[in-house]
Amino acid sequence: VSPAADPAVISPQDPTLLIGSSLVATCTVSPESHLRAEDLYWTLNGRRLPATSYTTLGPTTLSVALTRLNGSKQQSGDNLVCHSRDGGILAGSCLYVGLPPEKPVNISCWSKNMKDLTCKWAPGNEGETFLHTNYTLKYKLRWYGRDNTCQEYHTAGPYSCRIPKDLALFTPYEIWVEASNRMGVAVSDVVMLDILDVVTTDPPPDVHVSRVGDLEDQLSVRWSSPPALKDFLFQAKYQIQYRVEDSSEWKVVDDVGNQTSCRLAGLRPGTVYFVQVRCNPYGIYGSKKAGIWSDWSNPTAASTPRSERAAGGCDPKGGEQNTTLRRELKQFFGWVKKHAYGCSNLGIKLYDQWRVWLQKSHKARNQVGKDPST
Amino acid sequence: GDSWGIFTFLCAALCNLPALPALNCSEELGTSQSIQKTYDLTRYLEHQLRTLAGTYLNYLGPPFNEPDFNPPRLARAERVPSATVDLDLWRGLTDNARLAANYRAYSRLLCYLRALDGQAGTAELRHRLGHFCSSLQGLVLSIAGVMSSLGYPLPAGPVGPPAPPGTPVAPNDFLKKMDDFWLLKELQTWLWRSAKDFNRLKKKVPPAVVTLRLEAKGF
Repeated sequence: VSPAADPAVISPQDPTLLIGSSLVATCTVSPESHLRAEDLYWTLNGRRLPATSYTTLGPTTLSVALTRLNGSKQQSGDNLVCHSRDGGILAGSCLYVGLPPEKPVNISCWSKNMKDLTCKWAPGNEGETFLHTNYTLKYKLRWYGRDNTCQEYHTAGPYSCRIPKDLALFTPYEIWVEASNRMGVAVSDVVMLDILDVVTTDPPPDVHVSRVGDLEDQLSVRWSSPPALKDFLFQAKYQIQYRVEDSSEWKVVDDVGNQTSCRLAGLRPGTVYFVQVRCNPYGIYGSKKAGIWSDWSNPTAASTPRSERAAGGCDPKGGEQNTTLRRELKQFFGWVKKHAYGCSNLGIKLYDQWRVWLQKSHKARNQVGKDPST
Repeated sequence: GDSWGIFTFLCAALCNLPALPALNCSEELGTSQSIQKTYDLTRYLEHQLRTLAGTYLNYLGPPFNEPDFNPPRLARAERVPSATVDLDLWRGLTDNARLAANYRAYSRLLCYLRALDGQAGTAELRHRLGHFCSSLQGLVLSIAGVMSSLGYPLPAGPVGPPAPPGTPVAPNDFLKKMDDFWLLKELQTWLWRSAKDFNRLKKKVPPAVVTLRLEAKGF
């Protein structure tokens, strides 16, 4: 049996309110429901409101007073509900209690290979407005009037947007972010930039790390320049970072310059190293400015040779187990060398990678089985 | 466990390929397998819906996400196809009628789901909703495939949505939340019942294709 009209009407319906404000809401039951004001009660987000906050305004109208409202519990609005005595829902109203947005800040942008422009920003008031807040990234060429709106959001985190095409290279852009919610709008400061000043690229591909003959303290690193920018005149700058496998401390080699190879020296013999390379498309189209560093390439592992004469006292704990494994693997790879590869370098490389993997799983096994009392 | 879930979703994705009419898909698979696939999809959707509904109802906030929440269906035109039926009546329908009812119901449910507030909630919630809609679309196509392979005509006419003209989309935000609640609830019941329907249908259709294959292998 469904009545023709709604059983009750709440006022105000779906209001927007500032945090800390107060509200008086009324529930008026329709005559068909045969209910009276004393048959009603209120809940807010499922919690019954105290009868002390109620006032009967008429035979079929009950009001409730809410003071010093907190920010909405959920962005879809607080649920203020008018019930009949038996708990049935007669009507409801969604309360949107929050704050207007603050100016978005820290706008930073980068262009991948001059093909697109991605910008990210931070919301002004640490994001918590309690209301659903929309962010719109807008941009225009400095001396051409038309505003454009970015369409592809969340490409690099929740506060980001990507402009995928039609970028002008030699004209500066003006970029800003507008934040809006039910309570108002806030516009960030305008950032002005030149696409060519914020170019980044892919990490250098084909990173190879190899031994330098029998030299115990050196490794040679080679890589290719990122292919996406090969057609543009630029001086790439590279950086290398490397670390010993057991350490989390990276050593950075900064003055690699424009070459695509470098020799690391002063290394420890018989040690596994992880090496990464990244690229900065410095001086695109002759500009003297630096671009933005690419991500680091995936780590490549290699080990320095260990001289056969006993180095004395350098073996890590658990060396016994290592030596047995090493011997077995050497035998295995000896077989592999004979039957599969003709290149001794490759054999050693594979062995090094194997050893890295073994060390890791050995460590993991140790940790799992660790005695808590130790 | 999860493996059949992934498998059936892949099937759903396959059936979603625009170039591939459901007809071809099911003819190649055979009627029995087509029904099995539809059944599996229904179970997968049931599973997905549990998580989706939980997240969405939390977004709506209490009391919508309380376990015993049971609001009235207020006086508005019946928009969402109701899953409540007389079970005897339902069982008494022909396979054709039952399949057609399923097809129509899910087509409409899909439309309503797609209309759920696009701006709503977190990116994660929107992503889940999108994923669920794709799977549900797969189910609609799958049912169409079953109907074709059994020789039944697809229900004609606008299966599309909305309300007869004059009925407003929820007049206020609270009523819209109620509509959303009922949409998810009805969807839950439909999927639960469809699973039974397809299970029963599966038993009716002989796995002829399977027998042929066995013979070919010389068993």
